[in-house]
Amino acid sequence: MNEKPNKLKWHVLFIITIGLISAGIYSASQTINYKWQWHLVLPYIIDTSPIDIIAQGDANAAVNADGVITLTFDNGDPSRVISGADQVLISDGDLIFEGDLLARKEGIRSGVLIDGLYMTLKISVISLLFSIIIGLIAALMRISDNPFSKNLSVLYIEIIRGTPLLVQIFIVYFFLGTIFDLDRFTAGVVALSVFTGAYVAEILRSGIQSISAGQMEAARSLGMTYTKAMTYVILPQAFKRTLPPMAGQLINLIKDSSLVSVISITDLTKAGREVVSGSFATFEVWFTVAALYLVLTSTLSWGIQRIEKRLANNDR
Amino acid sequence: MTDKKKYEGNDMIVTVDVDKIYPNGCHALKKVTTNIQRGEVVVIIGPSGSGKSTYLRTLNQLETISSGEITVDGVKMYDDDTNINKLRENIGMVFQSFNLFPHLSVKENVMLAPLKVAGRSKDEVISEAEVLLTRVGLAEKMDIYPSQLSGGQQQRVAIARALAMKPDMMLFDEPTSALDPEMVGEVLDVMKSLAADGMTMVVVTHEMGFANEVADRVLFMEDGVLLVDDIPENIFGKVTNHVRLQKFLSNIR
Ligand SMILES: Nc1ncnc2c1ncn2[C@@H]1O[C@H](COP(=O)(O)OP(=O)(O)O)[C@@H](O)[C@H]1O
Ligand SMILES: [Mg+2]
Repeated sequence: MNEKPNKLKWHVLFIITIGLISAGIYSASQTINYKWQWHLVLPYIIDTSPIDIIAQGDANAAVNADGVITLTFDNGDPSRVISGADQVLISDGDLIFEGDLLARKEGIRSGVLIDGLYMTLKISVISLLFSIIIGLIAALMRISDNPFSKNLSVLYIEIIRGTPLLVQIFIVYFFLGTIFDLDRFTAGVVALSVFTGAYVAEILRSGIQSISAGQMEAARSLGMTYTKAMTYVILPQAFKRTLPPMAGQLINLIKDSSLVSVISITDLTKAGREVVSGSFATFEVWFTVAALYLVLTSTLSWGIQRIEKRLANNDR
Repeated sequence: MTDKKKYEGNDMIVTVDVDKIYPNGCHALKKVTTNIQRGEVVVIIGPSGSGKSTYLRTLNQLETISSGEITVDGVKMYDDDTNINKLRENIGMVFQSFNLFPHLSVKENVMLAPLKVAGRSKDEVISEAEVLLTRVGLAEKMDIYPSQLSGGQQQRVAIARALAMKPDMMLFDEPTSALDPEMVGEVLDVMKSLAADGMTMVVVTHEMGFANEVADRVLFMEDGVLLVDDIPENIFGKVTNHVRLQKFLSNIR
């Protein structure tokens, strides 16, 4: 009967609590005389500062009445025409040297944090694809009767799950990276996919094993090979069943990707560190970085929930 | 009582001295020898744990055998160059627990093997699936998912799914044991119509009425041994000189 008023009470309490925590954070920052300067973060999200146009070689400059610059290079390179500059910083007939600032252009660009967010997204999505492939292969090897495949897979999973990701990133970058001449990004993707693959493998293995043996028998009795039975009967059901733990693992992947900043990949975390040292708005930057991670992870979890709902309509 | 079918006189399934010992040491089949002819309906009866399912499952190699020989439609099952998947295409199987594919609609369940195994064209497979599902009385249910069907309906889909590969023989492992009593009849009716069409059938069941009415031959197993192999008249007739069979039948009634 009085369910509703009761619940309302708790909702109100929740909002008050959140308010108190926020106030607490604010007053705590006051005690150390922290001045909140959120506007300092904005340029690192949307960069509206003018774009510098730089000479890429020694040249003679000609500037016409419309402010169009024409560079004739000393080394005979094809001449360069620069139009649409908002601010021309040289005059007609100037001798230009390599690296000289010629003009400025207004423009809106993504800031360092958004570039970092994009890098995080890119490295996560690529690692996600590879980790699912690696995880699937490892899961299938893990459940095979062949001791070679089985042991190899168990060894892989145990080693990866038994060592810290940070150490794995260093090993991939400094050891494998040196041997195979991997760039940072590739090294980051390799470390993240191999790491996440081990967890995906365990999730998929338990998903496959949760499908009743009768499904495989029915498929085989129809003349399907093991591979076809897996592809058309077992895996579609296993994937569906493992969607919730898989979502958790993929969200972990996004968060774990912050560790690749240690090998100087300018992901969201590294961008955050750079911005902090440039802006001194330490608190604001890290809160912003956290919010941007939250955007990525909650989008992913929302997407997976949608898929789950759609599949749930089919069967039980 | 039983229609005396005109056998073409050739053996469909021949099992010779089939032994099965499970890895845990359980000796489930002991020198089982019998022939099943084309168009014959053979019913296997026996107490629980007597090896009926094990025997049935050796016939399409869901269980491998420990020794002996199985020949299906002239093909020796354990020859090195025998393709077991090809052999299975010709042997439909129906399980006690239906084992329909829950992620596929009724029609897709029936279409999967013809499409992916036989590689038939989609149009052909769709119309065949519709014919089969109409035959088992489920024309209205083609586009829904198995979980929305009753047990009897699910089992009829399972029969249609097995028939979709156009097998020459069908194996049934207690097809009505998981069903509510009121649904047993609809499944047995489909099986009877299959038998009437001349399908070779091996049926493990406790439905003695079905055995008596449809079977050409009844096998009685106990403790992994094929004890009795006889026509139903001699099994269900007033006098049986098989003591164990007598005891089993009187327990069932
Ligand atoms: N997968 C298995 N592993 C070990 N023993 C089994 C297995 N399946 C069946 N058995 C044993 O084999 C015997 C025959 O079983 P089964 O063929 O299922 O009998 P039925 O179908 O007549 O009830 C039983 O003793 C059973 O415990
Ligand atoms: Mg059984």
